This record gives sequence, structure tokens and C-alpha cells, in this order.
Amino acid sequence: MEIAYRIEQPLKMDVQLPVNGLTALLGGSGSGKTTLLKALAGLLPATGQPFAGLPPERRQIGYLPQGYALVPHLTAAENVALALSSKDQSAVSYLEKVNLAHLANKLPKELSGGQKQRVALARALAREPKLLLLDEPTSALDATARDSALDLLESLSRNLDLPALIVTHDPYVASRCNFVGVLETGVIAQFGSPEEVFQRPATISIAKMVGFSNIFEGIVDKITDVGIFLTVDKYKFRVETTEPPPTGSRVKWGIRPEEVMVVRSDRPLPPELQNNVLPAKIARMKKRGTGYCVKLSGPLPLLMLIPRHVQDRLQLEEAAQINVVLKPRYIHLFSSPV
Amino acid sequence: MIQAFTLSFKLATLTAAVLLLAGVPLAYWLTFYNFRGRYLLETILLLPLTLPPTVLGFYLLVLLAPDGPLGRVGLQWAFSFAGIWLGSVIFSLPFALTAYKEAFRAVDPEVLEVVRTLGVGRWKRWRQVILPWIWPGLLSGTLLAFAHTLGEFGVVLLVGGNIPGETRVASIYIFDLVQALDFQAAHRAAAIFVALSLALIYAVRSLEEQWRSHIGSNNH
Repeated sequence: MEIAYRIEQPLKMDVQLPVNGLTALLGGSGSGKTTLLKALAGLLPATGQPFAGLPPERRQIGYLPQGYALVPHLTAAENVALALSSKDQSAVSYLEKVNLAHLANKLPKELSGGQKQRVALARALAREPKLLLLDEPTSALDATARDSALDLLESLSRNLDLPALIVTHDPYVASRCNFVGVLETGVIAQFGSPEEVFQRPATISIAKMVGFSNIFEGIVDKITDVGIFLTVDKYKFRVETTEPPPTGSRVKWGIRPEEVMVVRSDRPLPPELQNNVLPAKIARMKKRGTGYCVKLSGPLPLLMLIPRHVQDRLQLEEAAQINVVLKPRYIHLFSSPV
Repeated sequence: MIQAFTLSFKLATLTAAVLLLAGVPLAYWLTFYNFRGRYLLETILLLPLTLPPTVLGFYLLVLLAPDGPLGRVGLQWAFSFAGIWLGSVIFSLPFALTAYKEAFRAVDPEVLEVVRTLGVGRWKRWRQVILPWIWPGLLSGTLLAFAHTLGEFGVVLLVGGNIPGETRVASIYIFDLVQALDFQAAHRAAAIFVALSLALIYAVRSLEEQWRSHIGSNNH
């Protein structure tokens, strides 16, 4: 489904976005994510396709706001039944789709956050929607519930051939979708697969949104068959790129913290990587999940994420001197001007 | 005494009925719609809370007198049941309105929005979502207005005077008894009032309690 919407109030927006399968709408707070969802639901004035000008009652959409918005004095089944257009359909059959038929007679206050969300989802499905709109569906869930919510959305969207637009600020949720659109100042600043957006963010601000914490400047030194060479400080890094910027231009580049690698003294590096080796001192190590977030000082103040099995092997400690390698294909050049 | 209490009940019932019919839409409007002059309108509607009943009664008497501005257009309601009815409605409106608005404020506007996106029309929305959600609040507000009207004195005396069977309600009846130094009869009537008030306020409180547990917390 193709969305083309223009909104004037409360925010000026002009959004063109294809929604296929699970499509994440990623954006910082105040970027207008929720505004766009409400406009698509017909709850805010807007112009554009689909559903142009129809009141909310006549739009075939399933809208799930952040708080799920169940009617508190109606049971799960009664909430679902609100959306049924004929008496022949059964509310319980929709609760079955979200594996919640056994809680049909419970009131919302007797349900957990994840269960409320599934009731809201069943209610939205009972509307027989052409498009699902979900506002931060995982923000109130713990990690396990978040994964099972995304699993359920994935299978529902696939089995019912139902496109879903998922508003989120969580890169993890975006990474599990089929497509990602990034909303910035009222327009879609980038659209693509999660891999594209996460590995090749179009702008610095998108990069920060998707977890690029190492962003620096460099000057294009020369362009060769094996990539370009970038002067950074006194180093010349090789970078693989399909769109080399002109020689002598000043560019921003970055590398994801999980793609900074420690050079192991017992394993010599292949010669083509020698250029991209950099000495560093471990300034700080912080636990991050089961792994570590390592802050490096040296020529470049890099941030590095290492999983536990790597730390088990390397036994890194604060104040230790190490070498890191920035692999040419992991370095991303930003096309936006400096 | 029976005549006075019957009249009081009739007045309180009719007043509560008008407040329920007119006050609920008014409260809905004041809660969910923003318009110019809303605060001014609310201030005027809440004025009887602080105004001495005699002041309100005095103005109504002037307005409803045969040669008053309203009396001249046919509303010659001074010293009549219709007059004390109107006075009671105005005087109890702030109580009912505040309770109704409180009830509507508990309704999450986002839930109403989502219910619209489910294809639920206005009539079904009121019948299945809004009214079942707020009825204890509406009932407790109406009972409060009923109790308040039963106990009213100043407005009724000024607008209605003291006509047995027409405007002499129970509170004025007690005043008469005390003035006539008939303390025994006054005791009996006053005791009935205490019992009635206790029962009504108790009902209001338990409705509020029931309402709270029935809504529970829908917050995530």
C-alpha cells in the first residue's frame, strides 16, 4: 500500500511511504510519527491517499495507540465485539488468532500489558482492516514480551497479507521489520530494508538514531580500484564505496560500535587490512547486557561493543593498550555535506 | 408534615430529572469541547456555589414577578411551584454539573477515538461505551442534586414564599414549627431529614466506590 499524506496541523508534514509487510516508521520524539498515524486513522485533518477525507468510522484500518485503549468496563470478548459488523462473526475467533481465547471473559484490568495488547490487536483485526497502524507497540513490554509481540505481528501480517505500519523509536523493533522509513522534520528522510538503513544511514542524525556512535571527519586522499583512501589524523584508511566522493573533499564517515574489531596478536592481519589498524587505549569498560561497551582513547575516541565470548578470549582490561581494525567495508561514508 | 415532605420530594425529583436531562449533555460539551467563552460560562454556572441563596432568590423573584422581565413574557412564576422548581435547578446545577464533568473526565478520549476507528457510530458509542462507563458518576451526581434540593431553604422561601401544598417544602415547614415553638413536631421532621441525608450521602459514596473498582486501571 502506498501512502501519500500531507498534514498542516499540529505539524507540517509531507509523507510518501510504501507500506508492505511490517514497515517501521522510525523517528525521534516530536518527529510526527504519532501525528501521521492519527491522520491515517482519520483522527487529524489531512489530505492524501488512501482513505482521503473519510471519517474514522469509515476507514478500514486497525489502529492501536500506545496505551491500547481498551474499553475498561467491557471484557476482552466484548471489546472485540465492538468492531464486529455482523452478529454472525464471533469475537472469540479473533481472540483465538492472538492465542487469547481462554481470557475472553476477563476485564482489561485483569490482563497483563502484553495480553491487553493482544486483545487490542484482536479487536483491530475484527475490523477486517486493510492496514494496521501500531504506535510504539513494544514500549511498555519487557524483552521477552517484546519479541513475542513482534513474532505475532510478523505471522499475522504474513498470513493475512495485511500491511502494518509500526511507529517506533527502538532500532531493534525497526531491525525486525521488512522495511524501515525514517521520519525527519515531516518527511521520509530514508526508506529501505533495515540492513540498508542500519549500515548505510543517509544522514548523520539517522546514523545516531540507528546506533552509529563513531562519527568522524576525513579528507579523500585518492581513489583506487580497491576503494578510496581517507586521510584521518595521520592515518590513511581504505574505504570500500560504490560512490566515491571527489578527491580532496572533506567527508564525514562512521563505523558501528559492534563493527570495531580488536586485532589479536596471535592472528596476523591480512595485508589489505594493514592500513586500517589504529592503536588505542581502553579508557573505560561498561557492562552492556552480557557483553561490554568499551570506550577507547587514542587518535580516535572510538566506542566498541564486544560480546561476552570475545571478552572471554581477549580478557581486556581498563588502561590496556590494544590495536583495533576498522574494516574497509564496515566504514560508511555519509553523502550529506560536512 | 406529610404534605410538606411530599412537596419536597416532588421538587427534588423534578429538579434532579431536569438536571440529568440538561446537565449531562452540558457537562459532555464542557468537558470535550473547547470554545471561546467556556470559562466565563462555567463561572456563571458555578456562581450559585458562593452566592447567598437569598441573593439568588431575590433576583429570581424580581425576574419572575408579574411585572418583571420574565413575568411580562408569561413566566409569572413568583410564589408558585414552577418558580421554586426553576430556582432549585439553578441552585443545584453546580453540584450536578461538577459531578457529571468528573464522570466524563474519567473517560479516556483516546478510547473514544479508537472506538470510532472500529467503525462504531455515535449512538452505539453512547449506549455501549460512554453511558456504561459513567453511569455511577451520573447517578451519584443526580442523587447529590436531589439531596441538595431537599435541604434547600433560602431560594425557595424568597421565590415561593410559604404556601402550603404549593411552595411550603419540608425545610420551610420546620422553620415554621420552630417559630411557633412546636419543638416536638420540629424534632420529628428534623430527624427524618437527618436519616434521609445519611441514606443519600451513603448511597453517593458507595456508588463512587463501586465506580472506582469497576473502572479499575486501564493504564499501561
